[in-house]
Parts: sequence; structure tokens; C-alpha cells
Amino acid sequence: MTTLSRLRVPYNYLDRQFGKDETEEILDDLRALVETGEFTIGPPVLEYERRLGKLMQVKHVVGTNTGTDALILCLKALRIGAGDEVIMQTNTFYASAGAVVAVGAKPVFVDVDDQYAIDENLIEQAITPRTKAILPVHWTGLPPNMPAIIEIAERSSLKVIEDACPAVGASYAGRPAGAWGDISAVSMHPLKPLHVWGDGGAVVTNDDTLADWLRLYRNHGMINRDEIAIWGVNQRLQTVQAVVANRVLDKVNPWIDRRIEIANQLDAGLRDVPELIVPPRPADRRNAFQLYIIRVQRRAELLRFLADQGVEAKVHYPIPLHLQPAAKDLGYSRGSFPVAEAQADDIVTLPGHQYLTASEVEYMISAVRRFYDR
Amino acid sequence: VADFERRFADYCGTKYAVGVADGTAALILTLRGVGVGRGDEVITAPNSFVASASCAALLGARPVFVDVRESDMTLDPELLERAITPKTKAIIPVHLSGHAADMDPILEIANRHRIPVIEDAAQSVGSTYKGKRTGSLGLAGAFSLHPLKNLHAVGDAGIITTSDERLYRWLLKARNHGLRTRDEVEFWSINSRLDTIQAAILVVSMDHLDTWTAGRRALAAEYSAALKDVVDVPVEPPGYLHTYQTYMIKASRRDDLIEHLRSRGVEAKVHYPQAIHTQPAAQELGLAPDDFPVAHSLAQRIVSLPVYGELTRQQRQSVIDGVRSFYAS
Repeated sequence: MTTLSRLRVPYNYLDRQFGKDETEEILDDLRALVETGEFTIGPPVLEYERRLGKLMQVKHVVGTNTGTDALILCLKALRIGAGDEVIMQTNTFYASAGAVVAVGAKPVFVDVDDQYAIDENLIEQAITPRTKAILPVHWTGLPPNMPAIIEIAERSSLKVIEDACPAVGASYAGRPAGAWGDISAVSMHPLKPLHVWGDGGAVVTNDDTLADWLRLYRNHGMINRDEIAIWGVNQRLQTVQAVVANRVLDKVNPWIDRRIEIANQLDAGLRDVPELIVPPRPADRRNAFQLYIIRVQRRAELLRFLADQGVEAKVHYPIPLHLQPAAKDLGYSRGSFPVAEAQADDIVTLPGHQYLTASEVEYMISAVRRFYDR
Repeated sequence: VADFERRFADYCGTKYAVGVADGTAALILTLRGVGVGRGDEVITAPNSFVASASCAALLGARPVFVDVRESDMTLDPELLERAITPKTKAIIPVHLSGHAADMDPILEIANRHRIPVIEDAAQSVGSTYKGKRTGSLGLAGAFSLHPLKNLHAVGDAGIITTSDERLYRWLLKARNHGLRTRDEVEFWSINSRLDTIQAAILVVSMDHLDTWTAGRRALAAEYSAALKDVVDVPVEPPGYLHTYQTYMIKASRRDDLIEHLRSRGVEAKVHYPQAIHTQPAAQELGLAPDDFPVAHSLAQRIVSLPVYGELTRQQRQSVIDGVRSFYAS
């Protein structure tokens, strides 16, 4: 076996995320904030809400403490609760289902397509008289077939809640992820293209009434300091994190452009390997490539081999939602969603972040190829 | 985060502490952890910040109020037992303004009925009751570390203390999506983690907490000595260590007093001018203002004076002169 000069390609890039100058800029902003003492929905939160609205082409942005909170607020704002059902895909991060359960409703799962997106052809058969909403996730950073989903929802008078947590900056036919449904959730977790130094999120909507209600509810239902209109919660975006987000917002699109270049390089270098399946890349969608996922043969061995070569690959995720211990009372079993189950067994996420160099990407490609050439 | 949790648990005298996103989340997660849900009842005091009651309402449970004592404004143990029903699943005494609730009789009644007691310690970091710190008295303590609290972050933060291992293990998962490992979800839950940035600030702040508390206590003592003949000053009976999250007096012609202070440049506040049971959000509970006469009456009389160690000698004197001159006129 030929040995290339050894590189390390870590999955987690947070040590490369903030160069010294960028960090100093943010620390200066934070010092300025500390001097004002405006920590609770301070001016940086309002600036962030305005600018994110522009980026996502939506009227209202309400900053929240996390992406999960954003999902919960979307559901609450639409009055979805006990006895209601919400349709979503089974191959996503746990928070999408956790949020539905948190409001007392029931997640109803459907299978996915060859791009790991919700299979819109399977949605209709999952609708029951109790269904209140469809919750498509822009999983991996790729918008699902939003026009079809909106049409299905309209036909059955259902709401559409977009889980745009992994996909700020993505779009479908030019329209941003998060700007399609009745209301959408955004996450700014450190490993997202739009990210902060901890947890942060937002609810976005074009609906004035929903936005008014959300602003009340996320802050204890307070009309003013002394009067509460409704029982609310504290799910405010940390002002400290809004300061970070405001320094990051304008970089989101250039970063995604770079992620797309890297994904193209990976696709070109791996597509002809017979043991791999690279998903289709439809031209009408701008994929934020939050996760670069391919399907592989002999996954466990490949992961070990890559780890030996210094390439940190991951699996998002090995157990779909319907097979989690938490889902045992929902009545699913192995076989319920064959596509997602097969993918859970053979997907691999390769590092695909904007800080990778062309030679690191080349190194990854050659490592994968060498594994199957042996 | 783990460093802060360790220090905070040691400080409070509990085995464990679990950092969470904010004080409200601390209450909600703890209530869920003891099994509170739809149709249950949760007992609390009506003269607190709204979160003491909304935490129950948000879980589909019913907040049941018990009136407070005139003297220290905390939940009246003598009224507690008659509020207990078979649906009562938790009791949340509030350590209002840094003064602990009278925990011994509350715990005695709760234990007899096998109902868990969750301390709303949002305003009482460091306060003690018979030598024990708040947060270590009930099954669990829920703390807020909001910027205006004695121990504070630069944004929202909260923490739960407990010595109950089962509750502790459950809370660790509950604040992080119910995850058992990265890939396995034991139960559906939310993200209510304490921000690591806020924890870094809190670790440093812990070193200053005792100094800050001493500063507040010294100022409170100065106010009380100078004002006790004109207004009702806070009480601190034997067995209690008050940390003066707020320095609340009971005053006649309260609104005029506040206006008078404001005209002299002294900012006084009211915590809170409306008892929770009289809020618009509480309409569904069908309660009248006089159902809890002490809390309702206190809401008309209480005033909080500025109380933090950084106030200068002149500022302190101007607070004292402000109050005295109002009653001299």
C-alpha cells in the first residue's frame, strides 16, 4: 500500500473557526455589551432579528435560546398540543421529535428518499384526522421538495413547520429554506453554518399575529415588567450570543459557497467508486452541506480505516427516530421505514466544512479509494 | 459547566448540581423530573415572579396558591395542609427576596403526604435556614442566575441542586434531548443546557459571592437601622440568613413614596405590584384577589430599595434621606 504524507482531517473544525482577529472583534463587541448591561433581549438581539430576516427573506424573526426551543415555539404558536399529530421524517436529529412530544403532540414518522429528505410521496398516507402539521426537515442542509409539501399541506388544510435548523442559507428554486412554510425554526449551534459560541436559535415567519404571540411567549408572557398576558416561558436568545451571530451573519453565504465547492470535489472524486452511493444533486437546490453524507459498503471497517488515516468520519445517525428507546410507545418496529433503516446502516458523514483545504479533501478521497482498492 | 456545577453543589451542600438554560427551565425540568403533568396540582406562593406558577401551568398542571405570612412574606405553613388534594404532585415554597421559607413545617407536612418539595431558590443563592443553605432543604432547589441575581451570569442561566441520585441522572439527560449516548435517545426531551460561556463567568463569580453577599447584608443592616421607625423593614428571625436579593420594605402611601424617591433620583421598584393569581394569564383559574388576602395586600404596600454593595456612602444616605423625608412631610 502506498503511503501518502500523513494528514489529520478532523470532523470538528471549531479550533479553526475563529481566527485571532475575528475573536478579538467579537470580544470587543462583548466588552461593549457588558458596559451597557443590556443582557436581556438587548439591542444586539434586535439587530440580529432584523438582519436574519433579510437574509432569509422573511418578515419576522424571533430569537430563541436554542433551535429546539424554536421548534417548540413554532408548534405552540400554531396551537399544536395534546392529541394532535405532526408528520416528519424518521432520519433526523432527535430535537424534531422531542419538540413535538414537549408540546404533548405525537410525532408520526415517514420514510425518506435517496437524498435523505422526507419522501413527499409518502406524506399523504400518513395523514389522519388528528394531523395538524407537516414538519419537513432541511436535513443535511438540503431543502426537501418544498413546493410539493406545501401543496399537500394546502390540500389537507395542514400547517407547514420547516425545521430549517441545519439549513440557513440553503434555498430551493431561489427561495430560502425557512421562507416556505407557515413558520420555521433555525438553530445556531456551533457546528451550523450560522453559529454562535454556544446555543442559539430563532423562529421565522411572515405572519404578524404569530410573531406578536411569540415575542410575548418567549419572555414569560410579559406585556410589560409587571403584567403577563399569557403563561409564557423564558426562551430568549442570549444577548451575548446575538453579538457573536451579528459578526457571523454576513459570512454564512460565502462559507456555504465554499462547502459546495468541497462537496463538488468530494463528489467528483468518489462518484465512480462502485462500493459508494453519492446522492443525486438536483440543480434547483442550494444545499448548505451542513452534513456531507454518502452511503458505503463495509461501513464499520471503513470508519476504522479512515480513523487510522487521521480522517474523522461520523454517522448521522446510526439509529433512526422510530427505533430509539424513546419511541417505543409509538408503535413502530424494524421494517416500518425500510429506506431510512437501510441508510442508517450504511451512511457515513465525511468532514465537509469550509476550513478544509483542497489537499485535505484530496487526501480524504484517496484514503476512501485506497480502502476499496485493497 | 462541570466545574461550576461541582462548586455550586459544594457551596449549597448538595451531592449534585445540574446547570440549565435559565431559572424557569430549572423549575420546569425539576417538576417534570418528579412526574408532574397534565391534570396534576402544584402548590406555590402567589407573591412571586410569574415563573413560580407558570412552570406548573406550562406542564398542563394547575398552580394552586397558598397565601403567605405577613411577617416574612413566605408561604404560610399553617395554610398548606388544607390546599393539598390527591392531585397535589409537588410543593414549591419560594425563598422570596433572599429570605428562606419556613421549611421545617413545610417539609413535615409534605413528607406526611409523600409530596416532593422543590425550593424556588431563584432569589436565594447563599441564604440559609437553620444552618443549611437553600437548595439543600427540599428534594431539589431551582436557581436563577439572571444578571440581576446575587450570583449572576451575563445573560440567562440557571441551576438545579439535589442530593437525589435518580433525579440527578434524569436531569442530565432531560436537559440534553433525553440523550443516553450521542446516538441513543432514552426519552424525548429538550435542549436546556447551561451556556458554557455563562458558566465560565459564573465560576469566576463564585469567588466573589461571599463578598457580594456581605456587602448587601451590611447595606441592609444600615437601611434597617435608619428606617425601622418610619417603615416596616425586612425581618431576619433567628435561624435565617437573609441575602437581600431585594431589600423590601412595607410602606404606607407606597406609590407616592416611589414618586417622591424618583424625584430625588432614587430608583425604587416593586417586586411585584400584582400577585400572580390576579394576572390576566391566571383568569382561567377563577380566583379572586381576596382569595389570598395577605399576598394581595402586600402587593399594594411593598417597595424594593436599591441594595448592592457598590452603592457609595452618599448614594446610601440619599436613599435613607429620601424615605425619611417623605414621612416627615
